[in-house]
Amino acid sequence: MTGALALGSGLLLFLPLAGLDPFLLDVLTSGFFLACYVGSWDIVGGVAGQISLGHALFFGTATYSCALLTSLAGWPFAAAGGAALLLSTGVAAVVGAMSARLKGPFIALLTLALGEIAHEIMLGQTFFSPRGTYSWGGEGGVPVTLPWEALSPWAMYYGALLFLFLSTWGMTALARSKEGLIWTAISGSELTARASGVDVARHKWRAFLVAGFFAGAAGVGFAAHVGRATTSDFSLELSFQAATFAAIGGRGTIVGPVLAALFLHALFLGAGIAPAARVILYALALLLVLRFFPAGVAGTLRERLRARKMVSGGAGL
Amino acid sequence: MNPFAQVLLDGIFTGSTYALMAAGLALILGVVKVVNLSHGAFFSLGAYVAYILSANGVSHPATAVVLSCIIAFAFGVFLGKSFINPVRFHPFSVAVGTLGFALLFEQAAQMLWGPHPASIGAGAPWATVSGIVVRRWGVVSVVASAGILAALALLLSSRWGLPLKLIAEDEEIARSVGMDVEKIRYLTFGFASATAAAAGALLAPATSITPTMGRVPLILSLIVVIASGMENVLAIFLVAVGLGLLSNISAYLLAPQWSYVSLLTVICLLLLLRPEGLSGTVPGRDY
Repeated sequence: MTGALALGSGLLLFLPLAGLDPFLLDVLTSGFFLACYVGSWDIVGGVAGQISLGHALFFGTATYSCALLTSLAGWPFAAAGGAALLLSTGVAAVVGAMSARLKGPFIALLTLALGEIAHEIMLGQTFFSPRGTYSWGGEGGVPVTLPWEALSPWAMYYGALLFLFLSTWGMTALARSKEGLIWTAISGSELTARASGVDVARHKWRAFLVAGFFAGAAGVGFAAHVGRATTSDFSLELSFQAATFAAIGGRGTIVGPVLAALFLHALFLGAGIAPAARVILYALALLLVLRFFPAGVAGTLRERLRARKMVSGGAGL
Repeated sequence: MNPFAQVLLDGIFTGSTYALMAAGLALILGVVKVVNLSHGAFFSLGAYVAYILSANGVSHPATAVVLSCIIAFAFGVFLGKSFINPVRFHPFSVAVGTLGFALLFEQAAQMLWGPHPASIGAGAPWATVSGIVVRRWGVVSVVASAGILAALALLLSSRWGLPLKLIAEDEEIARSVGMDVEKIRYLTFGFASATAAAAGALLAPATSITPTMGRVPLILSLIVVIASGMENVLAIFLVAVGLGLLSNISAYLLAPQWSYVSLLTVICLLLLLRPEGLSGTVPGRDY
């Protein structure tokens, strides 16, 4: 596993130097942010086992905060990015507090409804540019005013890659910490966790908080890369993608969902498949995975590997 | 001419049709014991069937309802047997999988028929009572949904409904007295999906037909089921009519998109006020 990860990072570091075409470079750069977003879903949806179907809410809050604060309020990008992080974490705190008393599918309903409310409101909202003459909002979204004129695609690529490494490392460390252990316990059985003296509601809330923070960070990075916040940042499709990639990569492993998101995004977008067809392919892949690999592809394969190891007396990889 | 009275009347017409669909969702929750997020897709399926038929000159509502029911039953049985039954103990797989199926249908509809709203002519008014227009779709929907709902209530209280009730109550006992629980489950799923398609076909003349049109009735049916439980068909009917009125009034007073937002707000409030809601009806681990 470590070998494969090292090979993957080596390849990702080497690709721009090997003369990758600018379009694919751009696809990979946005893929790095998407992968971090999917990893953040896995904190709350995989490690802590809370079915969130409104994760785009945190991502969209961050991109829209960046866009509105820089373009409308005239803030510098760095300040807007910081505020966006705070806001998305704050929204996650509210969603977490609202879901704390709910269970299973009802968290899914609540988060889905909250995400859709935000999407509908942004779809109907019009903002007037301070310089007058034109308006923003609706499906076209709001532009982000960036501090640089035209950043070299290489700088953006390596910056995004570094961001993905750091955030994945941070999320993995959190998932393996004592807090992460408690989340895993809650995911396993809320009743057992409560019986062992865990304040379930508070730790669920913390999982939402952390997930909202990392989703917000991914949103800020994405806004800086794309230079625009659009209503698709709030869409049900984006929330669904997070759950889909996580299910395919293996829920609760952080690295699995991150890699699945990166790989599938690069594959389908790089191959130039239209958005509608992409959602269909994701949904088909998801249904097959849920049906035949209940613990996710990586998770189920790992279980089988472990079972084989046990049979052969510990020898093997 | 009183536009508000017209809005109220149309709200009652649509609400009573939504009741049909909500009863289907309640049946799924009671017998299959899953929260089904693909119910709205079957509604859209029914509406698109009605649209295509009327575009080809077949405008009798009964044709659309029957055809869409058969198609939806087939898809529902497939989904129930091949996906829901095997994964129904995993709340994650059920929620995300049924949502995935709904999005799959939305995107397929968009590729087949385009993202732009389609519509069927609402037809000439049947009667005009002091300025309020009564159209054919409204009368047909109310009569058809009330009829199907009454038949459903009768069926459930007769000896034919006993297996369903027993499975809802205690499936271990149902299995031990020799019932084919799995089969009853996917047949119920197919039948319930057909009710959603029937509602869609009935309401097709009243709404603009878009790929994502199923989201509003899905949220509405979920509210009905959470608020009124699964047993009382009359309660389902009344709550659905109330929500139909709410969504029509907010669309009239604010803007069409606000009917969706107001329903989403209602479901959030409902979940917050009744967090224990339906706990106990959904199987699986103790979450």
